[in-house]
Amino acid sequence: MISVRDLCKHYRVHRRPPGLRAAARSIFRRPHVTVRAVDGVSFEVSPGERVGFLGPNGAGKTTTLKVLSGLLHPTSGEVRVAGHEPRRRDEAFLKQITLVMGQKQQLLWDLPPAETFELNRAIYGVGRDDFRRTMDELGDFLELGDLPFKPTRQLSLGERMKCELAAALVHRPRVLFLDEPTIGLDVSMQAAVRSFVKRYNEHSGATIVLTSHYMHDVAALCPRVVVIDRGRLSYDGGLEALVRRMRPERRLVLHLERPVDRVDLEKLGKVVALERAEAVLQVHQEVLQSTVSRALATLPVRDLTVENAPLEEVMSELFSRSRADLAAAEQAP
Amino acid sequence: MRLAGTLRALPVMLRVGFADAVAYRAELLVWVLSTTMPLIMLALWSAVARDGPLGRFGQAEFTAYFLATFIVRQVTGSWISWQMNYEIRRGTLSMRLLRPVHPLVAYGVESLGVLPLRVVVSLPVAAIVLAVVGSGMLPRGPGMWALCGAALAGSWLLTFLVSFGIGSLAFYLESSVKVMEVWLALFFVFSGYLVPIELFPPALRTVADALPFRYQIGLPVELLTSAHGWPEALALVGRQWLFVAGAAGAALLVWNGGLKRFAAFGG
Amino acid sequence: MMRYVRLFGVQLRASTLTLLQYRLDFATEGVLEVFWAITALIPLLVIFGERSSVAGWSFGEALLVTGWFTLLQAILEGAINPSLASVVDHIRTGTLDFVLLKPADAQFLVSTARFQPWRATNVLTAAVVFGFAFHELGRAPSPWGVGAALLLLGSSTLLLYSLWILSVSAAFYVVKVDNLTHLFSSIFDAARWPSSVFRGLLAYLFTFVIPLALMTTYPALALLGKLSPLALVAALAGSVTFALVSRLVWLRALGKYTSASS
Repeated sequence: MISVRDLCKHYRVHRRPPGLRAAARSIFRRPHVTVRAVDGVSFEVSPGERVGFLGPNGAGKTTTLKVLSGLLHPTSGEVRVAGHEPRRRDEAFLKQITLVMGQKQQLLWDLPPAETFELNRAIYGVGRDDFRRTMDELGDFLELGDLPFKPTRQLSLGERMKCELAAALVHRPRVLFLDEPTIGLDVSMQAAVRSFVKRYNEHSGATIVLTSHYMHDVAALCPRVVVIDRGRLSYDGGLEALVRRMRPERRLVLHLERPVDRVDLEKLGKVVALERAEAVLQVHQEVLQSTVSRALATLPVRDLTVENAPLEEVMSELFSRSRADLAAAEQAP
Repeated sequence: MRLAGTLRALPVMLRVGFADAVAYRAELLVWVLSTTMPLIMLALWSAVARDGPLGRFGQAEFTAYFLATFIVRQVTGSWISWQMNYEIRRGTLSMRLLRPVHPLVAYGVESLGVLPLRVVVSLPVAAIVLAVVGSGMLPRGPGMWALCGAALAGSWLLTFLVSFGIGSLAFYLESSVKVMEVWLALFFVFSGYLVPIELFPPALRTVADALPFRYQIGLPVELLTSAHGWPEALALVGRQWLFVAGAAGAALLVWNGGLKRFAAFGG
Repeated sequence: MMRYVRLFGVQLRASTLTLLQYRLDFATEGVLEVFWAITALIPLLVIFGERSSVAGWSFGEALLVTGWFTLLQAILEGAINPSLASVVDHIRTGTLDFVLLKPADAQFLVSTARFQPWRATNVLTAAVVFGFAFHELGRAPSPWGVGAALLLLGSSTLLLYSLWILSVSAAFYVVKVDNLTHLFSSIFDAARWPSSVFRGLLAYLFTFVIPLALMTTYPALALLGKLSPLALVAALAGSVTFALVSRLVWLRALGKYTSASS
């Protein structure tokens, strides 16, 4: 469905240092710098897949998404989506994709979302019956109720996002691009958006590409993640595998009946946290079983859980590691 | 304490204001190019004067008058009311209120920041006037020049304070942009911007003298083109500064009242 | 093609609904527009109080030009400005992306996005001015004159629209161009007066570069029966050329947006 090979996107940005003289000089001449937003990224996505793009801010995720949807022309590289070259923005191509951006909306501000739905229906040429069926379905999935009939400016952020999703899917696209869709939403709304996207994908077989820096979005939705940092791809595969590869250790959370000496805990494994009667140990997967038995035998354990390392930690380590790699590569002769 | 702090911050604020103005040079260009009215009027009135002078205005006099109008408009024009409407509606005004500088001063400094660039733009125009018309119409003597300076300063202040006051109305109305447009329409007519006040029919002239608009553009232009003798000029400048004081009082009144409303409604 | 006609209908409907939301605006804007139109007549009144002709135009004749100006300005404020001014907003907030994602021509979508019919109250003012002008002249226009003038109304609107597209395309190249509407209106103000008022460089500018003369003086000449058929054809051809040029510039600007922004 999506095929990207050696995608590069560079652009020029003007730099202006502070100070009066620089300000005056900048009337006539402004120095610029080339920013490598995307620097040689390649991957393939099959139809019906759910893929998450992960990466810190400014990594190039949104830029990649915009190239995939035809909004930006790549500097170099080959991109094909749904059998089309996005940059050409063929009508047939545009009718098969949709983009939802978390911080921006396409809903008309002064009118109810229903008017935007109607407008999109006309623009995409959707038949009345299809439209009715689609909107009933979406209204049901998203629990819209009578939200589409209130002026957009009167809706809350979460309600707007739901209507935004509906507006984006009027034409039943085969590819759905989501750029930070849960940003700014409260916890329950985030969960609602995630479950909707998953349900929509399962129901319609649409391909989903999602960018987020909320790890939980990706963890809940995407069996496959692509990690982009500094414009380069640092990982492409399953999330579980990524976590295990980065942190082959598991976390053992012990709730104890009484405080225990640090020394005793350190015999079992690396102590990550210790607070009176609660301890968190980091233990390698391979010795997990034996460590658990030993803990139960030697310590006054009241309760015990086994966890993975928190995603955020794994990710920040992945990014810092990849940055270090990049820096080393840049410095090497 | 607040005053001292403000004075200390002034140089930096001015510098930043200037840098800001330079950053948005395209905007500046747009503003400069938008001041077409004096030039269009010049063409129109010159065409009228082709068949003979109107009052004391021949083609040379019209040229001097309207190019001076262009310069004065450049140097005294204010966009603050639109900016205030924008900031009050968006809620970003709250950020200004958090700073220990009175917003009036902050806006004033920002407005001053564009002056250097606007003066630079005005210089070639001034050169053209001198080249085409000669220096015969310029004011005579340092006293007159000082009076011109006072008139220009008064002009700048009056325009700024009115802008600020109308901008403050945005606290009360949903948008005071329309009020500004009404003011502008009246300003165009009664300030001498479209028609030199001298050429008004007598009834209209008395009305124009009593209204503040004339003191925004008409007065400095007239002084710069030596339209008045000493006693008249002094009286007019005096009246101008009375209007400035009145505008300051009114603007602050509207602002303070509006601020209470703003705080009450949570911005 | 049919699709675009239907789309136009849908857009118009959305604008009308928005209009009904802001009924008070409808009233006050309309009144304000008439107010502006009247204040702009004052120089004319002062001038023709003293003189009987300016640059070869009598009072009645000059009023015709001003009348055409008022009419065109009403069309500009009601149909053209609102939509295209929103393009600058779109570019700044990034919502232009949504327009580009739609399978319809972007220029069409942005141009029909918003109409503000209440600003067109000056169509009535223009009619009054025309009436008064012909009263002054003591005669009515010929049918051929009216026909030619209507043709020129179409071409002038096209010309205005094209000039606007050119201005908005500039917004793609410069980050913050807030006062585009203001700039445009200021330059357009020169069309209020008969073009023979302008001499030399300005005359050249206003005839060939920003053809204001075509927009208001020519239709007035047509109504007076003073426009040659050749001039009429030249005006129509000029407008079409402008429209094509502006389309090309728009496409170029859009290309730049998609290649360099983020």
